Amino acid sequence: MDLTPWVEGFDAAVDRGMVWATDHGGVVFDLIRAALEGLFDLMVDGLLLVPFWLVAIAIGAVAGRVLGWKAGLATAAGLALCRVMGLWGATVETACLVLISVLLAVVVGVPVGVLAGYSPRLTRFLDPVLDLIQTLPPYIYLLPAIAFLGYGPATAIVATFVVALPPVIRLSAHGFRMTPVEFIELGQATGAKPVDAFLKIRVPFALPSVMAGINQSLMMAFGMVVIAGIVGSGGLGETIYGAVRKLDIALSVNAAIAIVILTIIIDRMSQAASSNGGKP
Amino acid sequence: MTRTDTAAADAPLIECRSVWKVFGDRSRDAIAAIKSKGLGKREVLSEFGCVVGVHDASFTVDKGEIFCIMGLSGSGKSTLIRLLNRLIDPSLGEVLVKGRMINDMPAPELRELRAHTIGMVFQNVALIPTRTVLENAAFGLEVQGIAPAERRRIATDALTRVGLADWLHRYPRELSGGMQQRVGLARAIAADPEIILMDEPFSALDPLIRRQLQDEFRQLTKQLGKSAVFITHDLDEAIRIGDRIAIMKDGAMVQTGTAEEIVMNPADQYVADFVAGISRIHLVKAGSVMMPIGDFNVAAVGALPTTGLDADIDALIHMVLASPQQAVAVVEGGNVRGIVTARTLLEGLKGDHAPPAKVA
Repeated sequence: MDLTPWVEGFDAAVDRGMVWATDHGGVVFDLIRAALEGLFDLMVDGLLLVPFWLVAIAIGAVAGRVLGWKAGLATAAGLALCRVMGLWGATVETACLVLISVLLAVVVGVPVGVLAGYSPRLTRFLDPVLDLIQTLPPYIYLLPAIAFLGYGPATAIVATFVVALPPVIRLSAHGFRMTPVEFIELGQATGAKPVDAFLKIRVPFALPSVMAGINQSLMMAFGMVVIAGIVGSGGLGETIYGAVRKLDIALSVNAAIAIVILTIIIDRMSQAASSNGGKP
Repeated sequence: MTRTDTAAADAPLIECRSVWKVFGDRSRDAIAAIKSKGLGKREVLSEFGCVVGVHDASFTVDKGEIFCIMGLSGSGKSTLIRLLNRLIDPSLGEVLVKGRMINDMPAPELRELRAHTIGMVFQNVALIPTRTVLENAAFGLEVQGIAPAERRRIATDALTRVGLADWLHRYPRELSGGMQQRVGLARAIAADPEIILMDEPFSALDPLIRRQLQDEFRQLTKQLGKSAVFITHDLDEAIRIGDRIAIMKDGAMVQTGTAEEIVMNPADQYVADFVAGISRIHLVKAGSVMMPIGDFNVAAVGALPTTGLDADIDALIHMVLASPQQAVAVVEGGNVRGIVTARTLLEGLKGDHAPPAKVA
């Protein structure tokens, strides 16, 4: 039996849907794009306005505080290496793409995760959706994003956000689900109002798991943000994409090193924050 | 004086009237069947697949009383205590606190009741690890909305009472198990409740610390004029702490009474097996071991040393040994109520003689 007409029909419907959405939602998408690109430009320009050495020292100092002075020195040295390779601007752009995407993922994912932690029904609905998001190849998300938001960092941010979202939801929900039963009873038995029971009992117990979710989300975002170089995201991803097209192996290796440095810095700092989350 | 039911004029602090708790998907049907056909635990399980947690429990707790509920794991005691502050809703029957039904109490009133009238101490303490000892002890006050300075003062006071004044700013993980449980107790008394529910609070502690805490708890409760319902799986603990003891088995209360009553007159073989190993020396009183005067040489009674009904066996042994006639007269209100001799003491210690009718 020939199913080609069915497939073609489905494809046509998807295309029509996309066209309809761009036609009718144009204003909305323009707004989203303007907001995301505005935020992105603001962050990047702001960071590049500050002299490089000041940024390196500041980030090194923060890393030194949370991870020890050796890590602080290594952080500053790593950032200096990015600068020496002539990739400072791209490094800053990549860091901003990741941070904005993950920020959005946290803003959306934590509340959804909290609700899912309380509601088994929502969890049953979300699980397959999150499974689907995590199973599809990540660059799939670039296509609809580029259709709605065009070529540029806004598309990269949205696609990265989609990839970074599931771990935040999953681990937030897990954290709120896992409050030990005796502590839930403690809240009830002391006559705590629901809001107090949430803030003073559920949140402290969920925090380490939520922080672990954010850390995972950052790592997913780093993976995606390089792929997003294809859609003109700017940053190291685009540097690598350009270098590959020109077969400039040296440049692609340099950019890869810069990404590794940036990833390690953000990973270690967010891990430190998450392991401190559960302790005084 | 014996510590039997003191049916006071005022309403009991806690009263349970034929309370049932049935767990399971078909608990509603099971309850209907219990109501209409009077099904028992086994029928409920076989016909409805429902587990009976609490089986028709009725009891009262009076003001100032420490009421111990003793049972092995699975006997329903933890479920029962949670019915008293409605952490678990009863399936059938009524729970009254200070004469008020709590079964259908609206949420705000229930919160008030839990905040001010009924405190609770948990088996695993449930100290929030991110809070200091002081912040943990002040938790109940904090959620009541009491100002920080005030709640710190009250919580410090409560911690001082349990001997933790030097540990205010430490974290729970820095404390030993016994100290953690003291913080749990301080947290409960800081809210100044009338009743404290103790859910096997000392079970996880080693024996020495445990006895120490038992004595401290009893002393503190009496000193503060609180009442308590204390859950334990340890009959020794129940005897040390409780004014009255209820023995639970399979969700039902098998026997309720003072330690002496339970040890001297176990209601069934189950209770008898439990009390078999209990040392009677401080538990059994003159009133239970004495024999009627009729059996004694009446003329000699006047010459005997005298004691009260609640002298324990330990004291009686000393007196009997010191008495030339090797006997002691038990006196109540100026009248001789019975005689204790070496023989009656031995019978009392052995424990399986038929005790004389209660005189009190």
